Amino acid sequence: MLRATLKGMASRKARLVLTSLAVVLGTMFVAAAMILTATMEKSVSGVIADAFTGVDAVVTAAEDPAAAQGNTPSATLIPADVLETVRGVDGVESADGDVSGQVNAIGDDGKLVGTFAPTIGFNWNEQSTGFNEIREGRGPEADDEVIVSTLFVTESGLDIGDTVTAYSYTADRADYEIVGVFGLSGDRDSLAGETQMGFTTTTAQHLLAQGENAYMTIYVEGDASTDAIADAIGSDYRVQTGEEASEEAAQGFAAVADIMGYIFLGFGLVAVFVSVFLIINTFTIIVAQRQRELALLRAIGAGRNQVVGSVLAEAAVIGVIASILGLGLGVLLGWGLSQLVSSSVMGGLAVRLEVPPTALWALAVGIGVTVLSAIVPAVKASGVPPVAAMREAVNPPKPLRGITIAGLAVTAVGGVLVALGLTDNLGDLGLSGFLSGVGIAFVGITLLTPILSRPLVAFLGAVMSWSFSGRLGKLNAGRNPRRTAITASALMIAVALVTGIATLVSSFKQTTEELTDSNLESDLIVMGQQGANIPTFAPETLAEIKALPDVAAVGDLYGEFFGAQVDGESTPLFASEDLPTSLDIFSGTVAEGSVDDLADDGLVVNESAAEDRGVALGDTVPVTFADGTTVQLTVAAILDDALLTDGWWVAPAQIEHFTVPKPMQAYIQVADGADVDAVQEEVDTILADEPEVDVTNNAQFVEQQTAQLDTLLASVQILLALAIIIAIIGVVNTLVLSVLERTRELGLLRAIGMTRGQARRMITVESVIICLFGAVLGIAVGIGLGWTVQQALEEEGLTSFALPWSYIVGYLVAAVVVGLLAAIAPAARAAKLNVLNAIAYE
Amino acid sequence: MPLANPPAPQITRTRSAVTASNVWRAYGSGEAQVVALRDVSVQFASGAFTAIMGPSGSGKSTLMHCLAGLDTTDRGTVHIGDTALTGLGDKALTKLRRDKIGFIFQQFNLLPTLTAEENILLPASIAGVKADPEWVARIIATLDLSERLTHKPTELSGGQQQRVACARALATRPEVVFADEPTGNLDTRSSGEVLRFLRRSVDDFGQTIVMVTHDPGAAAYADRVVFLADGQIVEDLHRPTADSVIDTMRGFENRVPLAGEAR
Ligand SMILES: Nc1ncnc2c1ncn2[C@@H]1O[C@H](COP(=O)(O)OP(=O)(O)O)[C@@H](O)[C@H]1O
Ligand SMILES: [Mg+2]
Repeated sequence: MLRATLKGMASRKARLVLTSLAVVLGTMFVAAAMILTATMEKSVSGVIADAFTGVDAVVTAAEDPAAAQGNTPSATLIPADVLETVRGVDGVESADGDVSGQVNAIGDDGKLVGTFAPTIGFNWNEQSTGFNEIREGRGPEADDEVIVSTLFVTESGLDIGDTVTAYSYTADRADYEIVGVFGLSGDRDSLAGETQMGFTTTTAQHLLAQGENAYMTIYVEGDASTDAIADAIGSDYRVQTGEEASEEAAQGFAAVADIMGYIFLGFGLVAVFVSVFLIINTFTIIVAQRQRELALLRAIGAGRNQVVGSVLAEAAVIGVIASILGLGLGVLLGWGLSQLVSSSVMGGLAVRLEVPPTALWALAVGIGVTVLSAIVPAVKASGVPPVAAMREAVNPPKPLRGITIAGLAVTAVGGVLVALGLTDNLGDLGLSGFLSGVGIAFVGITLLTPILSRPLVAFLGAVMSWSFSGRLGKLNAGRNPRRTAITASALMIAVALVTGIATLVSSFKQTTEELTDSNLESDLIVMGQQGANIPTFAPETLAEIKALPDVAAVGDLYGEFFGAQVDGESTPLFASEDLPTSLDIFSGTVAEGSVDDLADDGLVVNESAAEDRGVALGDTVPVTFADGTTVQLTVAAILDDALLTDGWWVAPAQIEHFTVPKPMQAYIQVADGADVDAVQEEVDTILADEPEVDVTNNAQFVEQQTAQLDTLLASVQILLALAIIIAIIGVVNTLVLSVLERTRELGLLRAIGMTRGQARRMITVESVIICLFGAVLGIAVGIGLGWTVQQALEEEGLTSFALPWSYIVGYLVAAVVVGLLAAIAPAARAAKLNVLNAIAYE
Repeated sequence: MPLANPPAPQITRTRSAVTASNVWRAYGSGEAQVVALRDVSVQFASGAFTAIMGPSGSGKSTLMHCLAGLDTTDRGTVHIGDTALTGLGDKALTKLRRDKIGFIFQQFNLLPTLTAEENILLPASIAGVKADPEWVARIIATLDLSERLTHKPTELSGGQQQRVACARALATRPEVVFADEPTGNLDTRSSGEVLRFLRRSVDDFGQTIVMVTHDPGAAAYADRVVFLADGQIVEDLHRPTADSVIDTMRGFENRVPLAGEAR
């Protein structure tokens, strides 16, 4: 029996290839995801380990390690005398103090260098040169010199010999001469997209350590034990070995790779999920085609089990070959993706390929899925009666009742899970509940596709029935609802996912737009791109704007986000130079008390926040600022809850205690009859010397707010692209097999006068209908999905629901294109058909 | 089993609907070459019903395919009416088949997705023209298919299916209808119905029909029987009867087992 199976397979090479493709793709993506994660992890830890080569111990302040990185102005410091103590410990060969943290540098366009990833300033010393390689020039020797990273050169437009202006939260602008350019070892520009500036230790301390002679980290070389160092410097500091510190640092970076890995694993699982349909479909068709052969086997005495075995054996052989192939291609893809991730988000990290043992799971998935998917068709095959060998194969359409009922039930289960997941009823399991709900709902909807295909295919077909070959194509598409539905499902699932996400994004956009329209009474907005730091501008600039003749009113906003405390609890604080005007512009209203002539010790808060803390009008509350000052403030007004004014407001007199005592945003009301564009230009001129902020009108503001979402949305389309590949294969698969199956019909049609062009058109229409069906269904399901999530997030502020029309139209167009592409080969095959062979009786 | 003799035809035609001159057709090459037709010349008169007979493998289907523009000839020429098929491209041949030729095959004559009526109108639909409704109605009535028009092929018996195929072949009033063993799969009664219709379409409508058959009884419906053996025409019998056909077959080829051929 096995011999017969293998011989049969060899004689059906084309079919074998087509079936295998689906399995290959699924396995490939699962394997690639695993390899990507492992490879990135290894590459990152490799790089970090490189950076720590020769570092035997690392000393940091005992506090939170994130603070020790110097990302906040309040980083805990290690005084210089501790460094001396460490140097004196027995066995310490050398010890270097490291100062690093975020700095701001102004590029040649007058704006900040690197808005999305920070600019890191540090003290350039012996230690730095181990990992950093000077490409040009030299390190800084004077306090007004700086060496910058290669990526800094690219991003800033400045180069060796130029002067760069830099400053930090705590240090004012100063000019530095670029005396050198360095890269990272392994020919890289950066570790994770950051730009870097190396200063002398004194300058670094001026910029990042409030001028204190202190460090954030001490790197030690030598064979002194960590205990010995710890004993010498006391318990205020944490001492780790080089490896420990390296691992800790690697973990932070590996998280990025993990996220990418999960995304691709998701893609892989979608691919596998979709492949299941393709495999079921292919085997069903194979079984239908082999009906006579199987019947003959039964007639000459093969048992039912042997027939099942024969089909499953074929599946297993395909599964093994395809999975091995998929694993191999997955390694390649994983490597390629790692390169891509490395160059696009990890600053050209050197990729060290790692194939984890878990990648073998991809093999198991591939083989398992193939064999499991073949079970239904195999059992069906065993039901072929021996007499079928003597008769012409007639495949009466099977009733869809059972599959439809099952589909409804499964969809309902998925829907309930989605609802539960979104409404917090599952607690911590909410996200997994939601995701598995979506998965289950997809299975359910897939089961429903055959019944849905009838009206939808009829409708879509009607649009394309203007030619007779188009009409025949439509009839063929509607001929086997199950097959059409399963084929379309690949596209359906992908389009549903991307439509769902696009719907959420467009809803978010609309919400932002409406929010701006109804809550913001200003015409122009001055603010910076939200990067790693909070963009601000000078108070003098604000005054200049206010003084413009065509400006009627300006609302301004100061903020403190670094550890200010209200009554002992960490709370962000806000302030405005002119709170009544700002409230007007932000559509805020006073419920109790008054904000006019706010006293220096006045405090303003919205109703629900006041209620949360049990604070009432007239209460006195202690407020501690990050600089350590504590003041007793009295609640002077309670605000109605409003989207833009909720929070704690202090009087302008307190601004001096803010970490960054500069305005973050200004909202400008233009005088009646004045030209908004002209005022925008005037403000723009005033802002020429403000690197961190820009002026935008309301439309540009919405644009900016949602720009990042657009990027996200664009990257999600990769999923669609992937599914399109699988969908094309699926449709090609189905069409080729259908063309084979309908050889006699095609022969007849060609004999009685159908031209090659007409035959091609017939197949093409069938293909386009299948794809459009998948897209239409996917769009509907995606909108439903987006709507459900939007409803669930209404409370959180996602108040509007909007359809992503341009994307929807795009997906429909894509479906047509996919249909046309997928039809090329099968249509050519149909057109080239040898009429004589096709109508031959034997 | 011979069928009842048809009425004697009157052969008064002169114009020929289909002409083959010195047609050669071989398949394969070298050792394995099979010469299916060797120097066949034959004319089929317009408005006549001609049967082609001969043992299995004698080249009947090949001849029909060459005449119908489904297969190409190696040497020699074929004309349908005044049109020479030799040298025509696929497009022209397709158009010729669509407009000038009707086909009835042994099986798989109908598209399962279309109703009987749509199948009948198929060639017209493919051509994008409207079939003459009166003519189609007349054929349908003659074939007694009025009740079956909305049925799908799977809902029709084999005989009904072949009758739909006959209607389809005649619906566009082709210059010639080629039928390759149209009754090969039918029982005696259904065969009779189909053959009587073909006979009538020649007598009443002046249709030209060329039919390949194994069955002497079926051949007896024709005006003339052309016998093929080894790719050559070996006998040309006019006004055949079942008995004369059988006699002729016995006469020129002993090795042909009589009953064995008829399915
Ligand atoms: N496509 C082909 N390839 C090779 N040989 C063929 C082909 N078609 C027909 N033949 C051969 O040509 C001869 C005539 O075949 P055919 O016309 O089908 O005979 P008939 O219809 O009289 O049974 C046979 O020997 C057959 O094997
Ligand atoms: Mg034949």
